[in-house]
Amino acid sequence: MTNAFLYAFAGIGLFVLGLHALVVHAHVLRKILAVNVMGSGVFLVLVALARRSGEATSDPVPHAMVITGIVVAVSATALALALMLKLAGKSGEAVLPGKHND
Amino acid sequence: MDGIIFLQWAFDAVLGLGLLWLAWRALNSSDLFKAIVLFIAFGLLMALAWVRLNASDVALAEAAIGAGLTGALLLAALARLETMTDQNVSGVSAHPAHPPSPTPAGSRFSRGLLILLLSASTAGMGYAVWSLPSYSTGLSMDVAAHLDSSGVSNPVTAVLLNFRSYDTLLEMIVLLLAVLGVWSLDGLPPQPEKPPATVLETLSRFLTPVFILVAAYLLWVGADAPGGAFQAGSVLGATGVLLLLSGWRPRARLMQWPLRLALTTGAGAFILLGLLTLLLEKQLLAYPVAQAGRMILLLESLATVSIAATLAILFLSVSSGHKMKTGKEEKE
Amino acid sequence: MLIGLLNIDWGVITIMLPLAGGIACVLWPAMSKPAGLISVTGVVLAIAGLGWRIMENGTYRHAVGGWGAPLGIDLFADGLSLVMLIMTALVGLGISFYAKRFFSPCDAVRFWPIWLLLLAALNALFLSADIFNLYVALEMTGLAAVALTALTGRIDALGGAMRYLLATLLGSLAYLLGVVLLYHDAGSVDIATLAQRIEPNAAVWTALGLMSAGLALKTALFPLSFWLPPAHASAPAPVSALLSALVIKASFYILLRLWLELFGAFAEGVSMLLGLLGAAAILWGSLQALRQTRIKLLVAYSTVAQIGYLFLIYPLALVSNGMAASMAAYLAFSHALAKSAMFLAAGNLMQFGGHDRIADLDRAVQRLPLTVAAFALAGVSIMGLPPSSGFVGKWLLLDAAMSQGRWDLAVVMIIGGLLAAGYIFKVLGYAFTQAEVPHDARAVPAEMEWAALLLAIGAILLGFMAPQIFALIHPDLAVNASEAGTVWTA
Repeated sequence: MTNAFLYAFAGIGLFVLGLHALVVHAHVLRKILAVNVMGSGVFLVLVALARRSGEATSDPVPHAMVITGIVVAVSATALALALMLKLAGKSGEAVLPGKHND
Repeated sequence: MDGIIFLQWAFDAVLGLGLLWLAWRALNSSDLFKAIVLFIAFGLLMALAWVRLNASDVALAEAAIGAGLTGALLLAALARLETMTDQNVSGVSAHPAHPPSPTPAGSRFSRGLLILLLSASTAGMGYAVWSLPSYSTGLSMDVAAHLDSSGVSNPVTAVLLNFRSYDTLLEMIVLLLAVLGVWSLDGLPPQPEKPPATVLETLSRFLTPVFILVAAYLLWVGADAPGGAFQAGSVLGATGVLLLLSGWRPRARLMQWPLRLALTTGAGAFILLGLLTLLLEKQLLAYPVAQAGRMILLLESLATVSIAATLAILFLSVSSGHKMKTGKEEKE
Repeated sequence: MLIGLLNIDWGVITIMLPLAGGIACVLWPAMSKPAGLISVTGVVLAIAGLGWRIMENGTYRHAVGGWGAPLGIDLFADGLSLVMLIMTALVGLGISFYAKRFFSPCDAVRFWPIWLLLLAALNALFLSADIFNLYVALEMTGLAAVALTALTGRIDALGGAMRYLLATLLGSLAYLLGVVLLYHDAGSVDIATLAQRIEPNAAVWTALGLMSAGLALKTALFPLSFWLPPAHASAPAPVSALLSALVIKASFYILLRLWLELFGAFAEGVSMLLGLLGAAAILWGSLQALRQTRIKLLVAYSTVAQIGYLFLIYPLALVSNGMAASMAAYLAFSHALAKSAMFLAAGNLMQFGGHDRIADLDRAVQRLPLTVAAFALAGVSIMGLPPSSGFVGKWLLLDAAMSQGRWDLAVVMIIGGLLAAGYIFKVLGYAFTQAEVPHDARAVPAEMEWAALLLAIGAILLGFMAPQIFALIHPDLAVNASEAGTVWTA
């Protein structure tokens, strides 16, 4: 076994930590951070397991996919932050309206 | 030799645990500003992890976009949130209304259930990863076999701009959608008055040409070595953010169609080239082998412009309307 | 000449045309409306071309970049993709003509580019044969849908959009983690290649769980439907119609496709679970709809219930016998037509009265007869009365349930139909009665009334088209389908 699996487990851990924070925190900014951490976790699993071919080369396709993913993530984060600001501007606080049970 | 292997193992283990620890702290810190700073530190540590995993291209993208620009966006949003909520509900964001506090007795059951569910799914996903074969080459053989006809020698660039260029086209559209979404919320960002000159202004005057050079280098070198449109675009975008932070504002005339052109030129180039190749080669985005290198460089250059403009304009939109609080420490 | 037309790569055009149109809208905001209408009409023609080509040559495959899977990305269309594309194009066309009059010039500039990019994303999604490419298309769809939801900038819309964005991002990430596990297990993201390579091991099971959960969240399968009513009810009417008719079908389609090609063979237990949730969705969504006092929330909860019917396909074991694809596509198409008509009609009633309180509809039937007719016709299909497409679809499901002895599901479907009748007649009843306080009424443009009515008529007419739709997806089953299509005449 290589360090590939070690980082892949860390990635799973990040995914779950992010999921936990997404569920328990009410503040939207924390939820946005949580989604970003979850994303990093997924990317880490994707790239880490590409190392299973050994030391010299690793599979470039996951690398390209993660670069795609990072760009998608920053786009989504920007939209989420803009929405959060607009919502806070109207309601006075950055929490989701109504009952909170997601 | 064993010693070195052990050291590497130890380093990787510490790095992995450090990532988890920073993520936990960032997500559960009682102060939002601290949470964001910890998140940025987390992003930088992620970049280090990418280096350890031989993914230098990803490391560059992560450092510039994941940690740098996302961090700038988060800080700008927090600053604006505080100016907003200070007026209405004092201290909502500085001292969040819902800190990770002990749960009331009623929801203790659901909290326990959540922990149980998450533990079970962690175990399941961990086992799934564990059960994967310990040796696999994925698609690296296919990439290596066709790298010569891709027009570039950096395999990651070959995947992004040639083998899976269609993903990249759609991704340029995702970036455009983010801008359109933010605009549809706010309209075009208003032009805030120019804040007084700061140390940052002097700094950015000095750094701007350096960053532009770095971006150009990254773009050029991306064909053969780590780098490429996304890295160059994000460095260029970061330059824009730095200029915006120091009070520079594009002239109103620039914010009209020159900006719109810059935002769409990457996606537009992909579409035009795609239709051209469809006409000539009968396949979408199939470059003739002899021209592939040049076409990729052209696409990457235009994509760099779009990515940089998108990232800078997203930052301007999220941070606009209020003076940036750069000296956050005084609040602490 | 005709052969030349046949050789044009219509599949690629359906994606590139709206993309180009969207970019044109960004570059020349003043031209948004004409650019939008031209692009949408063009997409309808391109899909007609693609359909012709599929009928002549069989399934469509295009290797983007000329590489071919697994190294490159393939576009792929069979009958199932084609029906989803036709659904998107026709419903999209109707909604576009409605939106032409609905939005103020200021809002139109914001609506059209995002809608065109959403249309491109949907077409790209229905044409993709690559699970990572599907992720990118899914994210495009999600971001565009959220941006459109927040278009009014009102506080309820912002809250709905925020919740929707977080839910859709969570769903995509769970899906992506599933993609990661499948890739590292089988070394490919091409669906056809994966189908040859995967076996039910721990990684595949985990991927199945993650992808199903993520896509169920994005499709708003009960109890993961918490985000749908606030988002769909608070968006502008044409956007609500797009979200309910088309956007949730995108994630549903991916799940169905994965089930048909990869998971269906070994995941019977999960099929049962999906079916149970579907049944729960029918009951819960219908009861909630019955309780609502506002039309748009009522229609949104009705969507939650109708999604339930789509998931009944899984336990009825139709996945294995080949009927699943045709049934699902037919039900989805039927719901898309009826639900878009309902939301557009609700939009007319809102514009007309300035509100959407059901109790204050105030004899809308006399003043907006076309709109109320549209709502009623769409309601006929949602309730499942003959001769509508809703009737044919639900009858086939009921038939399958009874022939397999699944009386529980059959009873749920019948109760769901009765509850649907309850909430639809609730609206219609108030449309005939005079309110206690008379209201001022604003005129509603004729195009907006006709767009709703035509979509509703489409939902009825589709009931007569069942054999053709089924034959498109599964030529062998054409006989069964034509029997089903003539059930109501017997």
